[in-house]
Amino acid sequence: MSPTRITSLFSVGALALASLVSPARAEDTVKVGVLHSLSGTMAISETSLRDVLLFTFDEINAKGGVLGKKIEPVVVDGASNWPLFAEKSKQLLEQDKVAVTFGCWTSVSRKSCLPVFEKNNGLLFYPVQYEGEEESKNVAYTAEAVNQQATPAVDYLLEQGVKKFYLLGSDYVYPQTTNLVLLEYLLSKGVPIENIGGGFRKDASGKIISAGKYTPFGHTDYQQIVAEIKQFSAGGGAAVVSTLNGDTNVPFFKEYAASGLTAESCPVVSFSISEDEFRGLPADKLVGQLGCWTYFQSIKSPANKKFSEDFQAWLGKSTVPGIVKDGRVTCSPMVLSYDGVYLWKACVEKAGSFDVDKVREAWKSGVSFDGPGGKVTTQPNMHLTKNVFIGETKADGQFKILKSFDNVYGEPWLKGKFKK
Amino acid sequence: MRKPFFIILALLGGFVAAFAEAPQAIIARAAVAKSEKTQGEILTELMGNADDSILPLLDAWRKDRLFLYDAPGMPPVVVLLQGAKDAKGAQQASDILTGKSLAVRLVADDLNAVPHSANLRRIMKAVLDLTDLSSANPAKKLGAIAAIGQGQQIEKLPALEKRLAVETDPQALKALREALALVRLRSSDATIKLSALKELEAQQSLASTDFIKTVIKDATAAKDDKLVAAARSALQAVERHRTVVDFGGTLFRSLSLGSILIIVALGLAITFGLMGVINMAHGEMIAIGAYTTYVVQNVFANGLALSPFGFSLSLPGLHTTGWWRESYFLFALPLSFLVAAAAGILLERSVIRFLYRRPLESLLATWGVSLLLQQLLRLTFGANNVQVGSPAYLSGNWVVADILLGWNRVFVIGFATLIVIGVWLVLTRTSVGLLIRSVTQNRSMAACMGVRTERVNMLTFALGSGLAGLAGAFLSQIGNVGPSLGQSYVVDSFMVVVVGGVGDLIGTVISGLGIGSFDQFTQQYSPTVAGALANVPFVGGALQNLAQDSAVFGKILVLCVIILFLQWRPSGLFAARSRSLD
Repeated sequence: MSPTRITSLFSVGALALASLVSPARAEDTVKVGVLHSLSGTMAISETSLRDVLLFTFDEINAKGGVLGKKIEPVVVDGASNWPLFAEKSKQLLEQDKVAVTFGCWTSVSRKSCLPVFEKNNGLLFYPVQYEGEEESKNVAYTAEAVNQQATPAVDYLLEQGVKKFYLLGSDYVYPQTTNLVLLEYLLSKGVPIENIGGGFRKDASGKIISAGKYTPFGHTDYQQIVAEIKQFSAGGGAAVVSTLNGDTNVPFFKEYAASGLTAESCPVVSFSISEDEFRGLPADKLVGQLGCWTYFQSIKSPANKKFSEDFQAWLGKSTVPGIVKDGRVTCSPMVLSYDGVYLWKACVEKAGSFDVDKVREAWKSGVSFDGPGGKVTTQPNMHLTKNVFIGETKADGQFKILKSFDNVYGEPWLKGKFKK
Repeated sequence: MRKPFFIILALLGGFVAAFAEAPQAIIARAAVAKSEKTQGEILTELMGNADDSILPLLDAWRKDRLFLYDAPGMPPVVVLLQGAKDAKGAQQASDILTGKSLAVRLVADDLNAVPHSANLRRIMKAVLDLTDLSSANPAKKLGAIAAIGQGQQIEKLPALEKRLAVETDPQALKALREALALVRLRSSDATIKLSALKELEAQQSLASTDFIKTVIKDATAAKDDKLVAAARSALQAVERHRTVVDFGGTLFRSLSLGSILIIVALGLAITFGLMGVINMAHGEMIAIGAYTTYVVQNVFANGLALSPFGFSLSLPGLHTTGWWRESYFLFALPLSFLVAAAAGILLERSVIRFLYRRPLESLLATWGVSLLLQQLLRLTFGANNVQVGSPAYLSGNWVVADILLGWNRVFVIGFATLIVIGVWLVLTRTSVGLLIRSVTQNRSMAACMGVRTERVNMLTFALGSGLAGLAGAFLSQIGNVGPSLGQSYVVDSFMVVVVGGVGDLIGTVISGLGIGSFDQFTQQYSPTVAGALANVPFVGGALQNLAQDSAVFGKILVLCVIILFLQWRPSGLFAARSRSLD
């Protein structure tokens, strides 16, 4: 038996021992909840967030933890089942008594466990772009608000001379709300309503209650919609604003490319495609199409370099069962999860306590962290001020950054805000 | 005495350069310019000044092959990397200003590529468009003509007119006249505007809609009634043409969706329709076909490493290139048939043959098998979708009278026709087909006549599964390939077979085409129909909102109509007597 083998055996033994001992030394640890779907349709995206959270906890623990206590993660599986998210958050808050929870991806899962967090005065860190129109004192929204993703993207397109916008999305709350905000925004920028494609739905009084074209999850036949876009863009100067989610993007972009539409004749800006999604998308069909996030893996900064290298190194050594080690990338929701943990740590340290009310006060007073995507600062409305980047897809599934907007204030209440 | 002479020469050189700067020099200057805006302005100078020599340069810039090389103690040089890479990955570098090769070989990864944004590329495209007007590539030429027309810049009229005088290709001539008319809409002369509108009216140009609308708006504001009337009539002509295009397009899309449904359901028409096995694992046979295509694609490229159940399995790659690489799909088609057929035989031998007279149990058992197969695919290929590329011959399109015919869609229509004819020939013209028909019609009698029914069952099931595999191979070209691929098609397949009438192939064909057309026509026309009904009290508004989500609305209507249809004819379009219905 070689010496290295012996040491590795020792360390395995030590780890096992540590895990046996840890409950006895509970006062030296602080329990933190991780609530993501590790099975079901959302598992592909959400497992990456669990991975990055565990990595961040290890990184913090290696430097002495939070207020001298080691973070002890309690990982539960929401299983892409929205009511289960409520049950699991109840378990985290009432049984495990976690100090804070990091979790949720879809808006519907967040809406489902929100009452539980409000009843138990818990704290949920939510890291994925969402539709706004919500501001709970029990949620720290590290996510992109609509004005940190959709409106900057439209600003960029307008600047590039785009005159016509076709709105297309998956049929659920995030695309519907985002497109309504975008409609108001475009009208306020002087884009005439006949230049906004996809159609409208009106209520009895004639008020627009929904803008754009929607397809269900798992939709496969985009022939008619692409033909409509082709006609819409025939006169030039048109772009598609896509909030299509998940793998429906594959048939859409395959049809789009086959119809002869290109990023130059009619660019598509997608809000739900990040580097992580490209692991299952044909990137070569999307070359030149646009994305807008608060972080891209291609950002050239020492902080980002260190973050992605450390994460890859951690993945290499990780013993989490079933973790995917090859071909991993970093993306905006992952970085916002990472930033969230550090912001929570900073808030706890500022408050000198794990108490949710005190941590919230610290958050509201404004705490900053220099993350991989640049500086993020907490706001009194539970959102974050952060940088926003517009990028262009490359054949390797990475983004080339075209433009950045610095320190954009997160604003959840946008409906009715933009007037002509 | 020599020095002043050189200075004068240098000055003179600078002068000449300033007056007639070579296009290469302009590009080099733009590449090192500080801001994107300046770069754009410098590139704009190329308009009209460009010749063919800069095409490769601009192309290289757009494709990240133009680099900035900072030689020590020298201003940065813009270089183009070309040729084969050596052991260190270095390539030959040439200075774009002089066209001469540098003494050093450079590695692309060590250098910064000259950046380019969408805006810069648009300017490059405008430059290229002007040069492309005389391009030998017809697609390029047409694209350039359209782009210039839509730009509506009066100063580009001479370039278009010059081209019109020498152009011979009828398609390009038509496009040129359209582009000229579009640009002339911006003319200050009212008669020119009127004649431009006449031209657009005659051409029924769809692309001109927005431009004509702008003319109407401006002319209404200027109270120019004659112009308004001319523009209105042009717009009407365009809209009339649009109805025709929409109808033709919908018809084509109906055919293509119908063909997909037929391909997907044909296998089931045999396993369920002829044999009476409620085969819930039909979808997974489709997925197996799609994954076979994925494997073949990778074997033709660089090989594939899989790790099913923790074993590592690596398939060597053939490293083909060019046409051979593209032809992988032609090899994938028969292979996916064979692999799925083999899987079908395995399934028939191990599970289904024990359940022939027990439909409910076969339903449950095959559903279990379907879950099992999904998990197997997940463990072998990973939970993520895998990527299957489209070969070039399936990713282009034809435009006939403004109707878009995607090659993949044309392919699927032809493919469906071939398969249907093939299956029909097998069933009616071969001895195997005779055996299959005899066993499905009356198994006991066939057995008495000495037919080995067990074997015929196995073969029939293999044929059905193989057809599902073929469907999977094609579906990989238009959608996702993932472990749950089959789930999205199994319901559609049953729908087609049940409506068509269990036990008859013609029924499957007609019902597939019918459902496909119904779906596409509702998608296309439900907003219009609902719009017409908007003033009907109570339901008008609601109907309009429903129809707005036409993709979903189409599916809902299809299901409603099918339910009603089955009330009327419970055994489908073509009811055939078969063993399963006895």
